[in-house]
Amino acid sequence: MTQPARTYWRSLEELAEMPEFAALVERELPRFRDVVNAFDRRRFLQLMAASMALGGLSACGTEPNPRQLVPYVQEPANVIPGRNRYYATATTQDGYATGVLIAHQMARPIKVEGNPDHPASLGGASAIMQASILEFYDPRRAQTLVGGGEIATWEGFVAALHDRRNALLSRKGDGLRVLTGAVTSPFLAAQLARLQQQFPAMRWHQWQPLHRDNELAAAQSSFGRPVGRTFDLSAADRIFGIESDLIAATPGWLAYARAFAAKRRPAETGGEMSRAYAIESTPTLLGAKADHRLGLRPDEIEASLRYLAGLLGAGPQEWAQQDNAQAAWLKAAADDLAQHKGNALVHAGREQSATVHVLVDAINGALGAFGKTVRLVAPVEASAGAKAQSLSELVGDMRSGKVDTLLVLGANPVYDAPADLDFAAALRRVPFSVSLALYDDETALASTWRLPAAHEYEIWSDARAFDGTITIQQPQARPLYGGHSAHQVLGILLGGGSGDDHTLLREYWQQRAQQENRGDFAAFWHDAVRGGVVPNTAEPPISATPRGDAVTGLPSPMAPANGIRALFRPDEGTWDGRYAHNPWLLEMPRTFTRLTWDNAALIAPGTAKRLGLATHDLVEISVNEVKLTVPVYVLPGQAPDCMTLPLGWGRAAGGLGAGVGFDVYRLRRAADPWIAEIASVRKTGEVDRLATIQGQDRVLGRDLVREATLETFKNDPGSIVKKEKPASLYPPFEYPDRAWAMAIDLNSCIGCQACTIACQAENNVPVVGKDQVLAERIMHWLRIDRYYSGPPEAPTVAFEPMPCMHCENAPCEVVCPVHATVHDHEGLNVMVYNRCVGTRFCSNNCPYKVRRFNFYPYTSQNNRPAQSWNPQVSVRDRGVMEKCTYCIQRIRTTQIAANRDDRPLRDGEVVTACQQSCPTQAIIFGDRNDRESAVAKRKATPIDFVLLEELNTRPRTSYSALIRNPNPAIKGNQS
Amino acid sequence: MSTTLQSELPAEAPVVGPDVTLTSLSEEVSSRVLMDRAPRWWWIGFGCSFLLFIALLVQMGWLFVNGIGVWGVAIPVAWAFAILEYVWWIALASGGTIVSALFFLTRSPWRSATNRIAESMLLSAAPCAGLMPIMHLGRPGLFYWLFPYSNVMGVWPQARSPLWWDFICLLCYILMSIMYYYAGILPDLATVRDLAQTRAKRIFYGILALGWRGSTAEWQNQRIVYAIMSAIMAPMVISVHSVVGLDYAGGLTPGWHDTQFPPYFFFGAVVSGTAVIMMLTILVRWGYGLQNVLTEYHLNAMAKVMLVGSLLLAYAYVWEAFGPLYGSDVAAKTEFYQRMFGFTSPVFWSEKVLTVVVPQLLWFPVVRRNQPLLVMISAGVILGMWQERYVFTISSLAHNYMPSYWGHFYPTAWDWTALAGTIGLFLTMFFLFLRFAPIVSIAEVREIVEEERAP
Repeated sequence: MTQPARTYWRSLEELAEMPEFAALVERELPRFRDVVNAFDRRRFLQLMAASMALGGLSACGTEPNPRQLVPYVQEPANVIPGRNRYYATATTQDGYATGVLIAHQMARPIKVEGNPDHPASLGGASAIMQASILEFYDPRRAQTLVGGGEIATWEGFVAALHDRRNALLSRKGDGLRVLTGAVTSPFLAAQLARLQQQFPAMRWHQWQPLHRDNELAAAQSSFGRPVGRTFDLSAADRIFGIESDLIAATPGWLAYARAFAAKRRPAETGGEMSRAYAIESTPTLLGAKADHRLGLRPDEIEASLRYLAGLLGAGPQEWAQQDNAQAAWLKAAADDLAQHKGNALVHAGREQSATVHVLVDAINGALGAFGKTVRLVAPVEASAGAKAQSLSELVGDMRSGKVDTLLVLGANPVYDAPADLDFAAALRRVPFSVSLALYDDETALASTWRLPAAHEYEIWSDARAFDGTITIQQPQARPLYGGHSAHQVLGILLGGGSGDDHTLLREYWQQRAQQENRGDFAAFWHDAVRGGVVPNTAEPPISATPRGDAVTGLPSPMAPANGIRALFRPDEGTWDGRYAHNPWLLEMPRTFTRLTWDNAALIAPGTAKRLGLATHDLVEISVNEVKLTVPVYVLPGQAPDCMTLPLGWGRAAGGLGAGVGFDVYRLRRAADPWIAEIASVRKTGEVDRLATIQGQDRVLGRDLVREATLETFKNDPGSIVKKEKPASLYPPFEYPDRAWAMAIDLNSCIGCQACTIACQAENNVPVVGKDQVLAERIMHWLRIDRYYSGPPEAPTVAFEPMPCMHCENAPCEVVCPVHATVHDHEGLNVMVYNRCVGTRFCSNNCPYKVRRFNFYPYTSQNNRPAQSWNPQVSVRDRGVMEKCTYCIQRIRTTQIAANRDDRPLRDGEVVTACQQSCPTQAIIFGDRNDRESAVAKRKATPIDFVLLEELNTRPRTSYSALIRNPNPAIKGNQS
Repeated sequence: MSTTLQSELPAEAPVVGPDVTLTSLSEEVSSRVLMDRAPRWWWIGFGCSFLLFIALLVQMGWLFVNGIGVWGVAIPVAWAFAILEYVWWIALASGGTIVSALFFLTRSPWRSATNRIAESMLLSAAPCAGLMPIMHLGRPGLFYWLFPYSNVMGVWPQARSPLWWDFICLLCYILMSIMYYYAGILPDLATVRDLAQTRAKRIFYGILALGWRGSTAEWQNQRIVYAIMSAIMAPMVISVHSVVGLDYAGGLTPGWHDTQFPPYFFFGAVVSGTAVIMMLTILVRWGYGLQNVLTEYHLNAMAKVMLVGSLLLAYAYVWEAFGPLYGSDVAAKTEFYQRMFGFTSPVFWSEKVLTVVVPQLLWFPVVRRNQPLLVMISAGVILGMWQERYVFTISSLAHNYMPSYWGHFYPTAWDWTALAGTIGLFLTMFFLFLRFAPIVSIAEVREIVEEERAP
């Protein structure tokens, strides 16, 4: 008897048991397969609870993944509506960890804050770190496991990998390759080491596009072995940066920036101040803060360093005889550095050539910096090999067919590998390739298996900071979209089944703790996880001096370019492209260009004039025989004949960032990753409107930025800021209790944008998109204005963070016809969203232009889960005005806590989001009426000033003047 | 004043035509209302206006559904077309009151025939003005929060805000204008009722005429009420438009924060209001063939008022420049340079030419008698006044105290639709007034006829 052509089912239960239905479900709804297979109510409820709570409730505790979810009948302890709970973990960037505390509201992760106990954070948090919470919630993250073009299940993948494993075991792992980014995780490194044991013929490759191969190569030639360099800026009185990312992006920069700024507050440290020099081809944060800055072409940088080395005795004497256009400047700087031997520091950015880094080591050696301002440590990375070489070898092997199994764990070489390697073509020759990625990115789409990765905040792992300190990363929630970790994938390959990462990690640490005699493991584990730092894991310093022959063996100097050179540089927000899907980072105005939603080719004003180009012009450039059409941005301070091309844009796949900006990786070659000759620049005649938010680059004769030299400050501090309170017919308002106020130190502000994003995260500030930024409707409550002075080729830069000024005579208040913006008894200028009818008169009347208006329902247009918004701050509807509130929700919660304990508020207890994230502690907030408060003390310094004082608005936000410490031996006293 | 004006009159330009009699006047004016079919030009004019009015409704629908973002307003230029057009419309409307109330008090004879046109214009322009600030709100449905009504929240409007003064003034002004219009038209409605041929029209105008019988007592009361209302309306219009000026003067932006705004705005209202009345008078004369009632005498008088207005405006412009240029405020100075030489400079200079330079032609009697030229000059003045508001509204916000937050304003198609749509609303209403209400005050012109005919 034949089967009936069509089967009928009589009930849903019967249907659920039919194989056809099971197959259908498996194909269409992979994540619900379990529900159907084991159709008992209890399991169903568990799953539904898990998906609805999105990892809330018990999933966020420090306990291992509980096997049971408890319905919310009885309140879990310590989960109190309106109160934050913090869990320590770490975020990593290029492998390096920065400790964070994640604030949970009702068991939902809400905000990322720096972990004050972690050496790489000290409480500060970068913009990228802050934005990671949005990535965690991003609904565009990869959610579907795909194998061979078909939707598959995790079990299916496990089975396939098992099969693969058996085949590989028989040939000792020949053909097996693992590709990762830089790895600092001791546990991952241990797993990889075990894998190597099991599969002796297997190879582990590493790739990251913003690698530090040049630094590494220099370490090899200077010290004969790979070493890491960490810096002690608290000892550095003289700093010389060569396109340095010391206070912008180098691992540990938050801590460096704090130490840097601490040495530059003469009003608070009795007139002491460090001095910084910078030479660079493209503006950096250190260059902006430097007391002297020179914009130089890359070949000039190298020549200058040779000259400097010659002068300081770090190189052959004849180098000091060189004819050098900047000789006088460099000579003065060299003398200054030489006078501060042992307290001087030279630092070069990762993009500088190995030659520059060798010269830097030699100069630091000559200045006696090692052991004092520069500490050498054993590399923090598990395997400190050159990344570019590692990838080249892998691609070579893939091409010659030696690779049949490739695991790509957290790397995206199809997008970001050097274009000449053509990784995509090589990948097509690999029969079994697995990509574990957070998004369905370029590599994932080109692999035979693509696995949704769990976010860092969803897994158990560990990672090391720039100084070696280890953090145990604990999950903040269950995987929202069913992702898995690299540990799990490697666990399968190791034959351990798909064990959960908590068990695996705990096993590893149990062993290690025993070896390190850390006593009771349970106590150790609890403290390490809870505090976010494993004690005593920082690398001890190594004493070493650079070898003399390193300098003499250097290749011949770089020749000047015939035409224009392209410089490949990381992007402040998207970094190497991995954050290109993060709306906060896409819309974050870049420090110098104030650009959002785009990258642009940055060229100097003089070069632009010569080429007949202006900002927004589209040009077609040809580099390494590849043509690319890019918009131009004319950037003051850029070195002539250099075109900076920010990497990390123009993603082809993944999430929101796909198709935004242009992809510079197409021009990049393995041999020369940071620099290339541009064969031709052709103006296309077309225009691409770039969304920059800064109206004018200069203060136009207004007293918006007060600036003085250290000498003036010492001799006549009263002359820097003239305080003339305008007369008024009205008596001043009385604030008998508290008077909240903010003081911002312009000297400390490095323009890193951390505060802007911190504010966005804390206050539910929506993202508006490029069109709306172009329409001048960006919503950031806090922006960092950037003003230039001096000639456009060599401008002085000032950064000025602009929150609401909370004026005592607030011009916004008197013009609101409906009392929607009013003053409170503590001097806060508050917005009553519900009362606002949207006349926008308040914004017109705000001379500081800090008010933002919801022209469209931006909040509801933002595609993010409802639970990701901060429940302590109202979201604003269409047609309503909003602005900085001095984080009133934080003021009130702290006050309530103090009231409950029946004690007065302590100074420093209320911390605004911007203040908290600021790596340099430029922002201080507190009660001005308390004469002993930090804010009152800073306001009492002679260099404290308010903006537009002549308008008699009496702002509560004041600024400390910018003090520079120029070298008297350098004429013109300018960059 | 009347004697002065009359003595200046050329002999060939009487206030009313020589063949106008009391009966012919009533019949001629009423027949325009009572005719069964409107003339072709009326239908064309009304049709086009109505289409534009539909565009306004579509625009409002789109705006209310999608939000204020459909316009080009932004930060820093948070006020743009809606507010500048509000000022523009209210200036036109004020011009109507100035002609009708101020010149009533001065007993200017030319005002009697044109006051109804002026008031109809005012009543047509006022809703356009009133609509603009409501459309411009972020949450337009809540505009009534500006009204001081008792509510459970216990929240009242903020009395320090010029916007609130403005709201109250505008509300009073519109209500007063309606009553003023009605008080004036009441006897005429009775005339129309009496002359109506059909029952429907008799009932319609009968209800509107409120039982007016024309008794001496009624006339006496009407004249007293009308005179009192005129005495209220004349200062009121000055204060209303001054308060509109305070919206700007109260604003803390370079270019706005200036005490000259109230008179500046009033001068603008004189010149632009007269210009609109001039154009409409010529339209009515031509369309309804009322050359006998609306004579060259009227045009001549209005041209002179326009000329005076433009001279006053020129004076205001001198002070507009003197303030920032002589003062020490860098921001105000920069802002004024931007007006003159920046992004908006073509509009700035065009505005000065159209509102001050071109109207100087009106010094010449030959120009004052040339109706096509009068239409062109008036149109230029109206356009120029729009441009004036455009420049100081936008330039001042765009070039504010914070150079880092300087911006631009780019109007969207919806901004232009709102402008065109309110013009549609204005003309639609005016055409309805033309069709259904006596467009010349029969009662008052009768007085003139009586006076002229008196030996």
